Amino acid sequence: MSRLKTLRKLESILENFLTRVVETEQGRMTTLKSVDLLDEIARDSLKGRIVSNRLGDWFANNRNMVETKKFDLSSLESIGNMLSEIRPGLDPGDPVSRKLSDQIDSWREKGVIPRRKLILKMKPKVSDDNLLARFTDYLGREAKLLESGEYEGRHLLQILDDILKSAAAKEDRMFLHLAGAMIYYLKMYGYKVSPFARRLKEIEKEKSGDCRAE
Amino acid sequence: MLSDADKAYYRALQALRDKDYRAAAGFLKYAENQFADMPELGILRGSTELLLSVKDEIYELENETIEIEEILINGQETEFRG
Repeated sequence: MSRLKTLRKLESILENFLTRVVETEQGRMTTLKSVDLLDEIARDSLKGRIVSNRLGDWFANNRNMVETKKFDLSSLESIGNMLSEIRPGLDPGDPVSRKLSDQIDSWREKGVIPRRKLILKMKPKVSDDNLLARFTDYLGREAKLLESGEYEGRHLLQILDDILKSAAAKEDRMFLHLAGAMIYYLKMYGYKVSPFARRLKEIEKEKSGDCRAE
Repeated sequence: MLSDADKAYYRALQALRDKDYRAAAGFLKYAENQFADMPELGILRGSTELLLSVKDEIYELENETIEIEEILINGQETEFRG
């Protein structure tokens, strides 16, 4: 076989492989497309642009997918957050916008999309517990969380991703500690952890910013 | 908001679907650095980059052939430039 023919064959094999990957990821693409479109609408809404028509179209195309929970939880959370950002920008004097606001409220009421959490913060009481007792309390709670069955069958990297999300969303500093411990453990066994370490640093930075703002 | 990593992965899939392999390779490289838990992205990026190299090589070989043919059509094969 000539060099050109060999290369043509390799080209065809690689193109077929990539086409099949895209076909396999069709479901994920549909989800990402919907979330991406809503993301654009949310960004325009934050810039003060009128988005009611586009949002109406988005609801028309995605209502069933959301209501039947065809989206994964993380996408539903993103959708919930974006709708919470769009909702205050909708004009209450416009009937179409009012209808869309009602739709968003109804989804929240029914729990179709997760509610946005309102976190009230206060400075922690100065504890007189000893440091070791608090440390072992963390370890105990962390072990309990990991053994709860929630993470059964999942890779430690996937669990770490979840723990980092919890660390960002929750006030409990145990998640920060657990994420740090997991990152160090994975690093010991040669896993690439720098993106996770970066995320942890960003979360810590945000948290310490929150504390200063209080 | 959609994370930059998710966006990059989505754009990569779109580019692959549209057969824009150069753009896909760029998006995949970005996504691969963000998703440490998706080693398959490395395979996808590697395959896309290999395909680009193969296409470049084919292009060079085909152009080489065209140049040789032009010399023969003139009937004056004084030098070989292939």
